[in-house]
Amino acid sequence: MEIGVQTKNVVDDLNPENGFAMLAQAGFSCGDFSLNAYLPNSSIYQARLNPFFNRSVQELEHFFLPHKQGAAKAGIRIHQMHMPYPVYVPGKDQELNDYLWNQVAPKSMEICHFFECPYIVLHGFKLVRYLGSEEAEWERTEAFIDSIAPMAKEMGIVICIENLYDNLGGHLVEGPCCDVRKAVNRIDRINEKYHGEVLGFCFDTGHANLVGLDFEEFITALGDRLKVFHIHDNDGIADLHQLPFTFSRSRDNKPSTDWEGFIRGLRNIHFNKTLSFETAPVLDAFPKEMKEDVLGWIARIGTYFSGAVGGEKRRKA
Amino acid sequence: MTITCAPSGIVDTKNPKQGIAQIADAGFKRILLDLSLDNITPFLEQCRKKGVQIPVAYAPWLSGNEKDADLKESFIFLAEESIRVCRIAGGRYLVVCPLAEGIEKPDLWERNRKFYLSLVPVAREHGVQLLLTNQCRDYNGHLLRGVCADPYQAADWVDRLNEGAGEVCFGFCMDVGVCSLCGQNMYDFVLTLGDRLKAVILRDCDGNHEGALVPFTSAGQGQARTDWLNLIRGLRQIGFQGELIMDIRDTVNAFPFFLRPEALKLAKTIGDYFKWQIELEQILQKYPARVLFGAGNMCRNYMKCYGEKYPPLYTCDNDRSIWDTDFCGLKVRSPESLRELPGDCAIFICNIYYKEIREQLQGMGIKNPIEYFNDEYMPSFYFDRLEMK
Repeated sequence: MEIGVQTKNVVDDLNPENGFAMLAQAGFSCGDFSLNAYLPNSSIYQARLNPFFNRSVQELEHFFLPHKQGAAKAGIRIHQMHMPYPVYVPGKDQELNDYLWNQVAPKSMEICHFFECPYIVLHGFKLVRYLGSEEAEWERTEAFIDSIAPMAKEMGIVICIENLYDNLGGHLVEGPCCDVRKAVNRIDRINEKYHGEVLGFCFDTGHANLVGLDFEEFITALGDRLKVFHIHDNDGIADLHQLPFTFSRSRDNKPSTDWEGFIRGLRNIHFNKTLSFETAPVLDAFPKEMKEDVLGWIARIGTYFSGAVGGEKRRKA
Repeated sequence: MTITCAPSGIVDTKNPKQGIAQIADAGFKRILLDLSLDNITPFLEQCRKKGVQIPVAYAPWLSGNEKDADLKESFIFLAEESIRVCRIAGGRYLVVCPLAEGIEKPDLWERNRKFYLSLVPVAREHGVQLLLTNQCRDYNGHLLRGVCADPYQAADWVDRLNEGAGEVCFGFCMDVGVCSLCGQNMYDFVLTLGDRLKAVILRDCDGNHEGALVPFTSAGQGQARTDWLNLIRGLRQIGFQGELIMDIRDTVNAFPFFLRPEALKLAKTIGDYFKWQIELEQILQKYPARVLFGAGNMCRNYMKCYGEKYPPLYTCDNDRSIWDTDFCGLKVRSPESLRELPGDCAIFICNIYYKEIREQLQGMGIKNPIEYFNDEYMPSFYFDRLEMK
């Protein structure tokens, strides 16, 4: 099993080679390229877009060439990347939504292909309040997936939907893709429609923890449809993106996130792909001087998970 | 649908007279019987004196962690006794939580199947339906989705138990607090359970810690922290007709004793509000014809969600500048037109100035039924709102 982490807060545009070297030094072999950092969600919600995605595909490839070369030099494989999100903002100008749908999304696919990255994660539309049901909401997401699925098939990229949350007065509740039965059926149906694997799942441990999902059952039900991870931890209240095993809610100080269930789920499906961490905020929390140590520690946790999952396999063998 | 008050934390079990009187004085006509009380006789007596009905009871919580056969037998005995007492008290439903503690996940169904089916003969004899309920599981202090928190599992268990019983002996009681703690989509939860849902425990909390607050009182950023929208949408869609149980113990206990009667009255008003919102479509359905009063966003939302199913004859508005125009496919008329309505046609006020418009209509001598429409909990919404002058 390989271990990966977000490139955000490590790889910068001025000298990407150094950032990738730091990841390799810390013990990672994979990167989750933070493409979403180039068009932050806060600016999309405010309809204040920067011009980054106004570039042509050729210009974008030229921009990212040092990143690609830096990763290759360090021996880091770009395993997954995150498409900017949201790709639809209710109540905003049609022009904005057309731009997100027709410029940002296809160009993200092109960049993913340029990096030879096999998986791109996208956020489903959050429209339950307006449309009334999760099914109606999914129809819109599926229409969006349909708009990029042919590209995905041609490029050999698997689009991954992710379990998300929504916010009610500060209380984080279930958002798109939290119903594993529906997710499984939809992934199978869409892949059948395209005669190929164009859709998979990104399991976000932090989001799952916020809404009390049963890790083991969810992962087991996904099976081989589970392609990528966003591994991170929180207190079950806020989306903190911190280190696994960090949070406790009882005086015996045992972790309040069900990492045991996480490991059991991975064992159940014989997971052997990449364990990737979405823990860029951890690097904000620690002093800059400790960045390499912290990255090393994240990689070490990944190695622990890998061993815990694989250990069972060895015992069975 | 009927509204029932859960007495825990409100009624002193040793001396229930005052607590039950306060509940009754607040307007509640039904009360839940909590069978974990030490002595229920005084409780039942006071309910009888105050004319408060007991439609539903809650069995003592039973841990599944029984190690020996004797203890297992005593569990079944306790549950059977609960059924008998429920019937004596006049209850139709008994909430019996699934056994979970100390049971390994793969054994959960089988252990519960045996437990619940063992209760069928007594439940059948006494005409009491047993309601399973959704549970959290405590994972080192963090409340996660537990047994029957997954609505598919809950529906499946109820169906398999009824199949095993050979008749409908089992239903479901949805605990809204548990759904909120697990951040669940309550619309999907309700729709998945459908008519298996016989009771709903209505309680608020902050979504992270256990609590039994009056609905709408847990708020942040100017918003309720519980997903009332999707709960109401779901219950309205399935035409819920069961028991709405208000568990408000924390709020009521937090109030000074002197103010508790007022807190209970507020809770009753909120219960009535839920009933009205959930039954809104049934109210629309009740009349052979209807007109609307108001040609603004609320009227627009009516037409979006109910215009096709319950088409109004027209709408009217006090703004004379829009008389004889069309709005969302409806002709806008003067309120004077209402004088010509057939007697069984209801007027639905689609404007937040409910009271003023009602008074206006009554002042005009209109005798038609006057109802309030409200668009805060619609099956769907437009992405935008019209700017009205």
